[in-house]
Amino acid sequence: MGSVVVEQLRKDFSGVTVLQNIDLDIKEGEFFALLGPSGCGKTTTMRCIAGFESPTSGTIKIGDRDVAKLAPNERNCGMVFQSYALFPHMNVFDNVAYSLNIKELRKGNLFKKVGVYTRMLNSKLVKYPKEIEKKVMDILEYVELTDHAKKLTSELSGGQQQRVALARALVMEPEVLLMDEPLSNLDLKLRHTMRNTIRRIQQDLKITTIFVTHDQEEAMSMADRIAVMKDGEILQIGTPTDLYSNPKTPFIADFVGTSNILPGKVVASDNGITTVQIGNQQIKSVTQTDKTDVQVIIRPENINVLNGGSDDYDNAFEGTIQFATYLGNTVRYDIKVGEHQLVVDTTYESGDSIKRSGEKVRLGVSPERVLLI
Amino acid sequence: MSKLKRFLSGMGFIKLLIYGFFLLFLIIPLLSVFLVAFTNEPINVFGSLISLEQMQTTIEQFKNATLDNFKSIFSYGHYFQGLLNSLKLSLIVSLWVLVICIPIAYGIARTKMPFKKTISGLVTIPLVIPTFISAYAFIIMFGRSGWVTYIYQQLGGEGMLIDPYSMTGIAIVQIFFFFPYALWPMVAAFKVSDVSLEEASRNMGAKSWLTFITVTFPLVIPGMLSTALVIFAVSFSDFGTPIILAPSDLNLIVVDAYREIAGFFNWGGAAILTVIMIAVAGVIYWLQNYLLKGRDYGTLSGKPKKIKLIENKALTVPLAIFSGFVVIIPLLAMGTIFLQSIATTWGKDPLPSGYTLEHYKTIFTSSLGNIQNSLVLAGGALVLSVIIAIFVSYFVVRHRSITLDFMTTVPLIVPGIALGIALIQTFNTAPLQLTGTALILIIAYTIRRLPYMVRSTVGTMKSIKQDIEEAAVNLGASTLTAAVTVVGPLMLPGIAAGSILVFVTVIKETSISILMAPAEWAPMSLAIFQNVLRAEYYSAAAMSVILVIMVLLLQALANKLSGGNKS
Ligand SMILES: Nc1ncnc2c1ncn2[C@@H]1O[C@H](COP(=O)(O)OP(=O)(O)OP(=O)(O)O)[C@@H](O)[C@H]1O
Ligand SMILES: [Mg+2]
Repeated sequence: MGSVVVEQLRKDFSGVTVLQNIDLDIKEGEFFALLGPSGCGKTTTMRCIAGFESPTSGTIKIGDRDVAKLAPNERNCGMVFQSYALFPHMNVFDNVAYSLNIKELRKGNLFKKVGVYTRMLNSKLVKYPKEIEKKVMDILEYVELTDHAKKLTSELSGGQQQRVALARALVMEPEVLLMDEPLSNLDLKLRHTMRNTIRRIQQDLKITTIFVTHDQEEAMSMADRIAVMKDGEILQIGTPTDLYSNPKTPFIADFVGTSNILPGKVVASDNGITTVQIGNQQIKSVTQTDKTDVQVIIRPENINVLNGGSDDYDNAFEGTIQFATYLGNTVRYDIKVGEHQLVVDTTYESGDSIKRSGEKVRLGVSPERVLLI
Repeated sequence: MSKLKRFLSGMGFIKLLIYGFFLLFLIIPLLSVFLVAFTNEPINVFGSLISLEQMQTTIEQFKNATLDNFKSIFSYGHYFQGLLNSLKLSLIVSLWVLVICIPIAYGIARTKMPFKKTISGLVTIPLVIPTFISAYAFIIMFGRSGWVTYIYQQLGGEGMLIDPYSMTGIAIVQIFFFFPYALWPMVAAFKVSDVSLEEASRNMGAKSWLTFITVTFPLVIPGMLSTALVIFAVSFSDFGTPIILAPSDLNLIVVDAYREIAGFFNWGGAAILTVIMIAVAGVIYWLQNYLLKGRDYGTLSGKPKKIKLIENKALTVPLAIFSGFVVIIPLLAMGTIFLQSIATTWGKDPLPSGYTLEHYKTIFTSSLGNIQNSLVLAGGALVLSVIIAIFVSYFVVRHRSITLDFMTTVPLIVPGIALGIALIQTFNTAPLQLTGTALILIIAYTIRRLPYMVRSTVGTMKSIKQDIEEAAVNLGASTLTAAVTVVGPLMLPGIAAGSILVFVTVIKETSISILMAPAEWAPMSLAIFQNVLRAEYYSAAAMSVILVIMVLLLQALANKLSGGNKS
């Protein structure tokens, strides 16, 4: 098990920079997610760590070892590929035993080497030693595939193939586990189950894990910490709650959950309350800022639809319901306030409490929930 | 520095070796034959590199370089006549092949003609028979004492029906043995061409034949032109038919080139003819690509379109009769060779006077060496091309090496006799005197047949995703171990199919064998050729039968392998 430290990583592909200023400090045993839109460089970052791409500049350390001089097969990072990359000509057992075979190949004498090679080409010809047999069966039991050991990988379902890939990477006891969008080929329901499986295994083994995804929900629900990437750079690193409540940029605010983002001008600032002018309305926030042009960020669930005039909010607006979307336990409204459009989430109570389009409503937001960036 | 070391220690070193191989045995020979066309004497490329004295001589040779050879081509001399005759032959053959193939292809693609399956099956027969054997079969059928001639004279004809030793004879052999190359592309074209357009035409009241001429036919014209070019190229580079059938007063460029080098040691003359052959073949290849640009019959035919097959007997029966006639001729030729091989004597009668297995016995006692040679040489070429093809396809697919991709298409264009002359000429003297050895023969076979192998291995390599290989490396395997334990086993079907194809084509190979094989390494094809020249027809026939059976068996095995691979 080890930490992963990346400093000032930069990668150019034939003159085009696709990664720059990448700094990561991933602790031992941490579940770390790389989150970002397609093409932002997540896979490239991971491939640099695994050794499949050589960085243009910068250093990568795995457990205090600078890996620059290490070939990809000497780095001991277990990788789970997006496509699983299982060996189609081998059965589940042989797939999982692959890295153990390689270890044997490295230390044995010539005679033994020939034996191992033969076994890798056809496992019926040369038997596995007891300790390999046990190790593989243990890990297969762990991912609940004991009954499928002798099947070809093509005979397995998507979720089972995923678990073979995981077992194959885990059996080599890697210092870090790298996973590139491992769940993207699964259907929604299986994805939820596999999230739990992966998280459980990671917690059990306390294995340092880097998990690449473009699905914020996946990252938020699984990771200890998340790095949000865009256009080859890291925008912010933090815990899921940290990113959600204190996004550093409007992009993150929008990417990590839904946000209402409105441009405004600071008009007053006293007693820790900043007042911002948006169109012909004013809004108060507890965020301190020395900028005048700011982006005002409000999460949909932090806007309250007021029933009657009873509640007393520092920020209150009049709005017109455009339409309502029923989302299970919440109801999402699109509401027009002045010339702006706001998204507002409310808890679903009963069918007839849902407001109709055209209805006039009063909205309230407390200044603690108004973020200025 | 360490980067260089790493490069050289791994795949990089192998890449250098492969570049070296192509440079040494393909590029330099082709360039040097081009230079010889000017200097008129063989130049010693490798000698010049290691000896200053030799370098001086070579520079002298270049000082005396002339354009005489090029002038002689265009001064309506002997060579020019040869070129014209060859072009004329290829044109005749490709046009006739088109004419023959249109009804057969239409019948297969669009109708329910009787015996369609049988006809489609028999069509592959001509492809497995080496042309010099077909040419020789043609002599036993149509020659002065052939059974066709006998029947013809019984029916009241004078002399021979067709003189096999003539342009007509050569053309007929080529037409009946090359037409399958054109048939399948044309069947595909007929299947693909837009059926809905034809239906529209028919709905508007046009008669069937009118629809065919005005709609169906124009749609397949580009496809037909490009297949005609394939036939043109095949006919132009064919050596087996003309070397057996061309009379001394009919000069064809392939035969001329062979005679210049094998008969007169006229290096300059052979070189200029080689240059011309390659130029013509290159132009045809270019034209073909130009015509096919932007068209992809593969993807088009991938769309399963339901075609309503024509059942009208008035059309299908004549089509079937015609197709049957065309496919039966190669079969008759093969049957004739078989009869000759078991005949005691076969003179001017429709059938042999008696039957015997004596000729086979002779072969298995006195000519076993030739069979062995063929197997050893083909085996050598197979091993060499498997090794080269695996790495070439790795570099072409994984490193996108355009250079290597190009180098493996060059041998497809260069006619066999031209490659042979280039190699003989380049490796004729020390320090690399390889002409007359089995090694250069194997290398020549390898270079010539490598494209088939590479096509097969590139296909399978492409189907192996890169991340499977990376997964192996990630699990600790070195690139080489990953290649052996993961990529290798996955490529096996492609390698197997490609190897058999290489083996088969090497056994059939005529031009390289006749031009380059030393006496002690004479393969079956050379032995048959010499027997025919010596008029030892019975043993030639028996050996031919053995060769064709070997080819048929291997081909069936290859079909099985590649068929099993697909499903
Ligand atoms: N081998 C390569 N050569 C050139 N450009 C590349 C190469 N690999 C990646 N890129 C470019 O680098 C950028 C980042 O690619 P990368 O695969 O890391 O994105 P990603 O964040 O993983 O995206 P996705 O979510 O779609 O997988 C892209 O613009 C891509 O086009
Ligand atoms: Mg990616």
